Amino acid sequence: MSNLGIPATAPTRIRDLTDEAFRAAYGCDRFTASVIVNRLKYAVGHMSTAFLREAFSPIIRDWYDFACTISGPPEQDYRTAVVSNSLTPFLGTMPDAVRNTVEEFGPTGLAPGDVLICNDPYRGGTHVNDVLFTRPVFVDGRIVSFVSMRAHQLDMGGTVPGGFSATKRDVYENGVVIPPVLLWSKDQPVRSTFSLIFDNTRWGAMLLPDFKSIHQQLQLGERLVRENIERYGPDAHLGALAYACDTSAELMREAVARVPDGDYTGAARIDADGMDDTVDYTVHVTLRKRDHDIEADLSGTSAQARTCINCGISDAKTALGVALTMLLDPAIPFTSGTWRHLDLVAPPGTLLTALPPQGAPMMFWEASGALIAAVFDALNPVLGENAVGGDYGSTNTHNANGVRQDGTPWTSATQCGGEHGPWGATKAGDGDSYTVLFNLNNLDPATETIEHDSPVVMLRKEHAIDTGGPGAHRGGAANLKDTLWLTDADHYLSPFRTREPSGVGAGGGQAGPTGAMWIFPPREGTDGPAGLVATAPDVYADSIPVAGVLDPETKSLDPVNGTYHHFASRKTWRTRAGAVLRCLTNGGGGWGSPFARDPEKVLADVRDEYVSIDGAARDYGVVVLGDPHFDPERLRIDMEATTALRRARNRG
Amino acid sequence: MSEESRTTNRPLPVERHPMQGTCPRCAAEELRGYPVNSEGGWFDVVKCQSCLLSVSRDRGPRLGPIRLLSDLL
Ligand SMILES: [Zn+2]
Repeated sequence: MSNLGIPATAPTRIRDLTDEAFRAAYGCDRFTASVIVNRLKYAVGHMSTAFLREAFSPIIRDWYDFACTISGPPEQDYRTAVVSNSLTPFLGTMPDAVRNTVEEFGPTGLAPGDVLICNDPYRGGTHVNDVLFTRPVFVDGRIVSFVSMRAHQLDMGGTVPGGFSATKRDVYENGVVIPPVLLWSKDQPVRSTFSLIFDNTRWGAMLLPDFKSIHQQLQLGERLVRENIERYGPDAHLGALAYACDTSAELMREAVARVPDGDYTGAARIDADGMDDTVDYTVHVTLRKRDHDIEADLSGTSAQARTCINCGISDAKTALGVALTMLLDPAIPFTSGTWRHLDLVAPPGTLLTALPPQGAPMMFWEASGALIAAVFDALNPVLGENAVGGDYGSTNTHNANGVRQDGTPWTSATQCGGEHGPWGATKAGDGDSYTVLFNLNNLDPATETIEHDSPVVMLRKEHAIDTGGPGAHRGGAANLKDTLWLTDADHYLSPFRTREPSGVGAGGGQAGPTGAMWIFPPREGTDGPAGLVATAPDVYADSIPVAGVLDPETKSLDPVNGTYHHFASRKTWRTRAGAVLRCLTNGGGGWGSPFARDPEKVLADVRDEYVSIDGAARDYGVVVLGDPHFDPERLRIDMEATTALRRARNRG
Repeated sequence: MSEESRTTNRPLPVERHPMQGTCPRCAAEELRGYPVNSEGGWFDVVKCQSCLLSVSRDRGPRLGPIRLLSDLL
């Protein structure tokens, strides 16, 4: 039915094709196709490992904030067939980014050894810090593939050093926009492009060696693709790319078909933008499922935000693919084919489909992450035991800078807020307590490197008690992080989902509680706190609340009657040397009824201080006796009291 | 601020234009035209609103609703 070279729905499953039919479709036998795809996965893995080893930028080296892909030539509509094991927001948007970048530049203008770059979110998703680098692979004068990387640059200009902030109001404040332009031409650096970047960004001395390393990895990727073609021929190479995409499309088609036909709606909310706290933002999705197709309609989603918390259509499409992969079949390979049976319908100019120049995207994964939450909200009720609890909802991003006593500037990005936290529980077990959001997939920087790179001491990095959403399987515990800042500092803080739980329950499980952020100023006349700040509710009275729904007097969490504190009520949170920043993430959602949880598991949770003795009785109906802190080995369950309590709860 | 005094930024709708004809698969007289984003980016489609069959599917503008001034060069 298509006139665009996009394969129609295969009448026969790929695995049911005869050997002859397979060869006719994919230019090689099925074993060769599998071997080539796996060799390409090795190629992107090798590129990634090499870049991780060589990179100077902490966000590359310690966060894995980059991705590698291999995609087809223009005749295959640049379809992305193989991706590295890394950030889904990159992997999902890179198909559009490569196609839009090469098409605008003009594929006939490319030569062997070229590296084309683009960082425009509207042309290719994510934000200006994420630069796409794509390199054509030529065989006999013809493009047979593109090897591509996208890597986060620690700075891309704009009004906020490092970029991570919700306060920027348009694309001009956001940072430098690079249209499709050559960074290397026939493997010679294009000086004017390098200068354009270095003249408009901070910390160019860190960016330059990373750019050189990226050039090396693209050359490596090209070499590995060419070796495949020398060994198996160009037809087999191109056929294997098509086979990889068709496999994803077929598996997603079958996964979608297993969902009952119907219209399912879901929503999620972001607390506020970086302007003030008078406006919140709703992400609304209607999933219309018929046979093996899904149309996702974003009608009802709020108009784009006044500051840079928006994302673009490619990010929204990526989030849709991630959510459906996670819920319907996590084994589906992530390729362009993931979206073959998914149509995204979206009004222009929403939080998820922002338009230039006012709808700036910087904190894009927060908006697209809310779409993942909305898809979970829509489908969980019909998925039965396959429903999944929600995650911590926001990376609660921290970004700070200052000057050391010797006058050297420092910056710390995405390390000392609530960037990592819990997932919800599933049918398989309890939610993980310390990972990244559903739509991210990367590393946690080591405490030693954080303290080495910035004048900061990591005082706490721990699971908070009673924060996993109760369930037969418990949601992951919220993360509590305290950092002591040794110099004066300017902080930009971005916790976006503290007004209502993001870690929603699934299948009778309960939500994890909301989190918050506080600053503890140094005591008068000193350069630090009197000691480690405790975690009891009575420690917050002298704090400066940054975010969260808090009791007006005690400033401790009070999600029912408390007052919301806006993360950008100060555009910049300026602290004196000795201040402590505390970030508490939201908790993960539980799965299944908590009163069906095995009491032995509740006992183990009390032993490990995931759950308090009071929490065990209140949330699980399990009566635990003993002292978990000072005498953990002698903790025990009062079975009689537990049976009575659970019976009373079931009646209630 | 109190939870009562805030508002949600206004929701936006998608426009779907009614089209003549019936669906060749399910015979519903509910064909509508609108842009979608899928594998391969933007498409202008005419789809049956009952069974979601795409009656036609043509490549849309590269950046959807966003037009570049440079395109006028
Ligand atoms: Zn129909």
